[in-house]
Amino acid sequence: MTLSLEEVAENTTDFLTKKWATEVKITSIEQIFGGASRETYRLSVRTDDRVQNLILRRDPPTSLIDTERELEFSAYEAIYPTDIPVPEPLFLENDPAYLQQPFSIMVAIDGAITDASLLNENQKKVIGRQKWQLLGKLAAKDPVELGFHRFLEVPEVGQCAARELAYWEKIILDDEIHPQPIAQAALRWLKANKPAPAQKVSIVHGDYRTGNFLFVPDEGIKGVLDWEMCHLGDPLEDLAWSLDPLWNWDDPEHAGLLLPHREAVDIWEETSGLKVDMEAFRWWRIFASIKGIAIWISSSENFQNGAGKDSILAMAGWAMTDRQNRILLDYLSPHSANRFAGAMA
Amino acid sequence: MIPNTDDALRMLSQRLMVQLLPDLKTEYCLSDGMLLGLLMNAIADEVASGIELRMQDIADMARLLKQGSAFHDAGKLVDQGPASLKLKDVNILHDQFTTELIKLHEIVERSETEEATRVEREIWRYLGTTAERHTITALG
Repeated sequence: MTLSLEEVAENTTDFLTKKWATEVKITSIEQIFGGASRETYRLSVRTDDRVQNLILRRDPPTSLIDTERELEFSAYEAIYPTDIPVPEPLFLENDPAYLQQPFSIMVAIDGAITDASLLNENQKKVIGRQKWQLLGKLAAKDPVELGFHRFLEVPEVGQCAARELAYWEKIILDDEIHPQPIAQAALRWLKANKPAPAQKVSIVHGDYRTGNFLFVPDEGIKGVLDWEMCHLGDPLEDLAWSLDPLWNWDDPEHAGLLLPHREAVDIWEETSGLKVDMEAFRWWRIFASIKGIAIWISSSENFQNGAGKDSILAMAGWAMTDRQNRILLDYLSPHSANRFAGAMA
Repeated sequence: MIPNTDDALRMLSQRLMVQLLPDLKTEYCLSDGMLLGLLMNAIADEVASGIELRMQDIADMARLLKQGSAFHDAGKLVDQGPASLKLKDVNILHDQFTTELIKLHEIVERSETEEATRVEREIWRYLGTTAERHTITALG
């Protein structure tokens, strides 16, 4: 059952009043469009001593990604004290009594945006540099030191690729509405060409791309968002995902619409202290498209079976699958013009 | 009257985006409505030519399965037509052909004969052609 905006505000007021043991008034609330994995709301909250802007993320009945909210919240808690900027996590509530679904609340990052197309050339360079520096820093961190092993499985370096491939292949097989000949060809290729073991087991954000971090154009990146697919694995996985051509469809030369691909990789290598083995990286790039297809197919399935009615599920399931298939054709077909593969050469 | 459903959908989408959306009160509804309008345009294209494009795919796949019959026998399917020209029936047949094509693809890519390589290349050519054929222009 859907809750109205007023009901969300009213029930969140009750929740915060109880948590903070003080009178709380929500002075404004709006739903943010595009939160494909959660319903996302921006709230202004007034208590006796202050006004605070918060972000509320509520589980929908379905989402693009079948995620674990506790995992995501734990990731925010573990990363928040580090030099990777993330919103401050406040509450995770699993009891459906308040909003019918579990939800989490974080402090909003005011004045920041996610749309990189609004940046001028110089700002793109600065934000781009910071984007891959942050990813390099994340790759360099010790997950155990930060406590990630307490809520995430720690794979062996030689297991990372096979484990991820098995996970996303299952989603494709479970959720595909129509047979997928390009994805199937890519899956066969990935199984036949296993990459070298990971250089180390790193924290993998899982969806590190332009659009999933907040920035102020002249100040830089203020918060990395959407950690729901976070896991421990090969750091090349995040790098490949961040460079997937899907995120710069109309501008193939600029990874994530920000920097030339080679420059992004150089910055990542410099910051992480790791090297990109091009053969292994090719594997992770093809894997990134398979993971994308799995996510888009899953969203189609949700929309098609009626569990999810959000228009973004329909759009993602249709247009994104189409584009991701073209990317795979570019990588794998003997007739490829290497439009995307060439960007890394 | 026989409605031109694709044109009707495009006009409804235009009305939604140009006349109704500007009066919506929240950014969320505006963005959602805009996406709905784009999806309606994409569906209009499907209404106009979706069945024809699928039938072209089926004809291409039938040709490939015949060409590769020495490697994989798809049986009577290769000469089969849809139960009707309803989209649902055409989709069912399209899926059946695609399933057989996936099997053939897997077999010929394991074989090292010249003929297998030729069939494999033709399958990749088809996959490229069908991707182009189904380009979703309405969604940008």
